[in-house]
Amino acid sequence: MTKLWLIALGLLVSVLSWQARAELVIEITGGSEAALPIALVPFGSEGITAPIDMSEVIRNDLAGSGRFAPLPKQDLISQPHEQAEVNFSDWRLLRSEGLVIGKVSSVDGQTYDVQFQLFDVYKGQQLVGKRYQVPTSGLRRLSHQIADQIYHALTGEIGVFATRLAFVTVINNADGSKRFALQVSDADGANPRTVLQSKEPIMSPNWSPDGERLSYVSFENGKTEVFVQEMTSGRRDSVASFKGINSAPSWSPDGKKLALTLSKGGNPEIYVLDLASGNLSRVTHNSQSIDTEAVWLPNSKNLLFTSDRGGRPQIYKVSVDGGSATRITFEGNYNSSPDVSSDGRFVAMVHGIKGKYYIAVQDLASGAVQVLTETGRDESPSFAPNSRMILYATERNGKGVLAAVSVDGRIQQRLGEAGIDVREPAWSPIRK
Amino acid sequence: MKNTSVENITAGSFSLLLHIALLGLFVIGMDSQSIPMSIAQTEQVEIVQATMMDETNILQEMVRQQEVEDKKRNDEQARQDLVQQRLEDTQKELARKELEYRDQQERAKIEQQQRETKAKQEQEKIAKLEQDRKQEEIKQQQAVAERKIAEEKRTKADQERKVAEQKQKQAEQDRKHEEELKSKAEQERKAAEKKKQEAEKERKAEEARKLEAEKERKAEESRKLKAEVDRKKAEELKLKAEEARKAEEARKVEAERKAQIAEADRLLQDSLASEQQEQESKRIAGVVDQYSLMIKQRIKRNWLRPGIAESGLQSTLRVTLLPSGDVKQVVVVKSSGNAIFDRSAESAVYRAAPWPQPTDPKAAAALRDFQFIFKPE
Repeated sequence: MTKLWLIALGLLVSVLSWQARAELVIEITGGSEAALPIALVPFGSEGITAPIDMSEVIRNDLAGSGRFAPLPKQDLISQPHEQAEVNFSDWRLLRSEGLVIGKVSSVDGQTYDVQFQLFDVYKGQQLVGKRYQVPTSGLRRLSHQIADQIYHALTGEIGVFATRLAFVTVINNADGSKRFALQVSDADGANPRTVLQSKEPIMSPNWSPDGERLSYVSFENGKTEVFVQEMTSGRRDSVASFKGINSAPSWSPDGKKLALTLSKGGNPEIYVLDLASGNLSRVTHNSQSIDTEAVWLPNSKNLLFTSDRGGRPQIYKVSVDGGSATRITFEGNYNSSPDVSSDGRFVAMVHGIKGKYYIAVQDLASGAVQVLTETGRDESPSFAPNSRMILYATERNGKGVLAAVSVDGRIQQRLGEAGIDVREPAWSPIRK
Repeated sequence: MKNTSVENITAGSFSLLLHIALLGLFVIGMDSQSIPMSIAQTEQVEIVQATMMDETNILQEMVRQQEVEDKKRNDEQARQDLVQQRLEDTQKELARKELEYRDQQERAKIEQQQRETKAKQEQEKIAKLEQDRKQEEIKQQQAVAERKIAEEKRTKADQERKVAEQKQKQAEQDRKHEEELKSKAEQERKAAEKKKQEAEKERKAEEARKLEAEKERKAEESRKLKAEVDRKKAEELKLKAEEARKAEEARKVEAERKAQIAEADRLLQDSLASEQQEQESKRIAGVVDQYSLMIKQRIKRNWLRPGIAESGLQSTLRVTLLPSGDVKQVVVVKSSGNAIFDRSAESAVYRAAPWPQPTDPKAAAALRDFQFIFKPE
């Protein structure tokens, strides 16, 4: 009898111990940074034909970012436009992380009422839901803004779809002459508008921190000259037309100063121009070398610039108040055209290897360099305002095109239309 | 007397007292009304006065002495008067007591006379009572005498009756004697007859005894036979009992042996069962491990980690599964602090559904509750 009890007790103990470890602990490491599947249901339009397909714009934005994998339209199980019509279990079967629905209706023929919702399919919860009224002309931008919100809600990062790009296009005329244009487009390269045309070269466009002005170099007067142009009014001012070279303007983080390359002293040196007073202060003093392409660090106290003072072009760091410069790039024998990410962590640059030029990124803290592109004819890197992507110019079929790459090099994007020679891109800040 | 003396001393030493009182005022400050303090100082003054006596005061002192002397004389006279008074009082008291005594004597005499008279009366009463008692006694004695005479008369009658009875008895006795004689003869005849009968009876008894002896002998023989049979039977029984005992013993030994075998068998079975149990547990654990790994791989494949620059993120999720392998509940028990990262982990859990489920119900039951720790590296 006692033995029976002992056996019973033993069984009980084993059952208990079994239950005690009932909760299995599993560690999941790795995972992948693959694109998130998302279901984008075409927006419903009530009794109208919408001027643009907003959900298509959103789809392209999200797909183009490399961070999302929108489900093919034919895979969409149903076409809900309101939450009541959503059956989450259907969308779970498709394994889409998010579901975007929306609808557009006309208020008076010129104003549109737009609403959209983003859902977490697995939890069946709304993550974002908004409603807008915009004129016809605002529909595209609103689409980008919605894409930004979806992007932010699902990645935690700031979306940059509603930002703009500035770049220079070159058209070769039949008579051998060229036509240069400074253009501004949406971030996806669509909707380009020309802000300046010239028979002479236009170079180095650069956005003011508020996104309201552009500075650039124009040869229109037969020499290099730095202009500042207001985007809304189109008004422009020449801010630097000294003797010799006037080039490579770069806005200070507060938007009150421009760093410039001037050779008015005989040799190209870095200067800082106070826009309100017109006061100039010289930053570099090295008559034996070329110092150019200055950019500001987010702290407003230091500049990075390209110099061949070491024999080959390398990137140096200097105080805005002058003083000695320190070299920061040591990998390879050609590094130029620096651009600093707005979070101050990275510097993007043109990295030359054996006569080929690539876009590379250097971690400013560690000094680690990563080459991000492959074509070998890449130039003019410009950080997106969320510090995630780098816009640059490259060449395809003998023509300049725009492309973008993620800071980790895993996402590659092509922008703009083919057929036009595009150079010198600059990514705008986030529009307020 | 004492008060007067104090007053005199106070008068005589007034100036000094005043000084001391003033000094006292200085010393005790505002507390001039403190009466106990003043008296204490007055007593001190008596001593101080003696040493401080002045010659100019001697005459005054003598007068005072004379006054004292006179006073003493007067006092003595008064005291003698008082003694005389007391003497008189005492004599009066004695006279009063004498009278009281005489009175008491008188009263005692009267009381004595009264007591004597009373005693006399009492004696007379007692004498009378005694006389009454004696007369009563005489009466009683007369009654007794009368009773005795009656008694004697009755006794005489009784004796006469007894004599008559005696005579009758004698007659009866005589008759009885006659009868006895007759009955004796009869008895003798009967006795002879009885003797004959008894001899016959004796013979018969002897015969019977002989028969009985024979019977007894036969019975004894039979008894002996029976005893022998019994003995043999008992022996047999004893033998049988012994055999039974031995058989019982053998049976017990056998039973014990069988029990031991059964026990051994049972132990073997038990150990086999526990071994089976253990093997079963091992098997289940194996299946659980295998499926845990499969689940881990599946979730890992389904984890679309956001490209977050932030390092060191880690989310801990508690997941409950439905028997179908679908996710019943996901709870973020420890957030990474980054909502996007947490959600990516949650989504991975959902995306992996339905999770692989073993067919073994025990193993499946062990794969219901999970804790997942998600970290990029």
